[in-house]
Amino acid sequence: MADTAKKIFIKGLWEENPIFRQVLGVCSTLAVTNLLVNTLFMCFGVMFTTALSSLTISILRNYIPRRIRMIVQVLIIASYVMMVDIIIKALNPDIHRFIGPYVGLIITNCIIMGRAEAFASQNRPWSSFIDGIASGLGYSLILVAIALIREPLGFGTILGYVLPAREVWWHQWTIMVMPPGAFFMLAIATWIGRNLSPATPKRQG
Amino acid sequence: MNKNSAIYTFTFIFLICVVFGLAISLVHYSTLETLAKNEALNRNRVICNAFLLKADGESPKAYQQAIDQNINARILSSDTGNFETFFRRDSENPDVGFVFSGMGFWDRIEGIIVLTSDLSQVINIQFLDQKETPGLGARIEEKWFTDQFKGLEIDWTGRSDQRLIVGASSRPNITNRVDAITGASQTSLALEKLLNSELNQFREIYNRYQSEKE
Repeated sequence: MADTAKKIFIKGLWEENPIFRQVLGVCSTLAVTNLLVNTLFMCFGVMFTTALSSLTISILRNYIPRRIRMIVQVLIIASYVMMVDIIIKALNPDIHRFIGPYVGLIITNCIIMGRAEAFASQNRPWSSFIDGIASGLGYSLILVAIALIREPLGFGTILGYVLPAREVWWHQWTIMVMPPGAFFMLAIATWIGRNLSPATPKRQG
Repeated sequence: MNKNSAIYTFTFIFLICVVFGLAISLVHYSTLETLAKNEALNRNRVICNAFLLKADGESPKAYQQAIDQNINARILSSDTGNFETFFRRDSENPDVGFVFSGMGFWDRIEGIIVLTSDLSQVINIQFLDQKETPGLGARIEEKWFTDQFKGLEIDWTGRSDQRLIVGASSRPNITNRVDAITGASQTSLALEKLLNSELNQFREIYNRYQSEKE
């Protein structure tokens, strides 16, 4: 494993961004991004789970029997998701009422299983932890960017605070609150992300 | 030890289950008190919203104060069941509310419906708990849906399963109907079924309670 922590971090955050490069975790991206506060809690949940499950799987990688490795990975991921669910429920029950079903679905979020299988099961704990954090941050980066556009356009608010324009001239775009608005924004984010960072490596020399 | 042997595999998975099971239990146990407080706050807030009471702030104390000042709570029971019932302490509008519950499409739906004291009209409906499909059935909690119930006249003379109707009706100009949720027909049907069942049961118990009181 030649990659340094910095390289791993940049890969997870941008070069192999889970949303616009790998197109993973799309379900929750569409579901929770109409309000920034919901998005932040969801990002916390995914980052917490990705980082700790990658770390745990990496620590145990030499002890996990190969034929049951995926069962063990799911069990570890599910345990962390249940902890996140309980923590969010205790910290903010109102937000939990809205994003609760999607928190449960973090278990099946392909980003986490993908990082566990592709990276953590073959690399050292510290690198895996960094990779988990970076993937979680890469996911969060796109979700927060989408939420920062959907909430003001759809509700005329940011983090629940009413923007001055809403009171004077701004008419809310209902479509931004609804799933079609999320599809449009995700497509635009993917387009921008892929244009800024093309997948094909540049030829040397 | 051979990592592929059955004993190793079994021991490994057993230990993983024990360790993570204990960790989840620990997190759950350490948040029990907070969860109970949150639950109580949510319940009080829903009661206040259902009775259209204005609390003096958003704190648990404010909601509790509003309830203590305006509502009497008691359990009305009969052979068929118990109803947690709330009476508004207002001689001009002595509304009555009760906690209803029953199966939705996926899981139990629990809420509070407030009626006029003669049970003829709905004042308001609010939901305490539901686990219907997010974005579809879960929209029963949204204001546009619950607002439809305000002022509905309950049809006590017609069919017992159509005291309130959620969705389409063949009869024109009826005053006991609300629109169903598009894409959530099963939740709408389940809600209609449970509301009618609970209303029928509650009327029986409430009428008995009223006659005993007189």
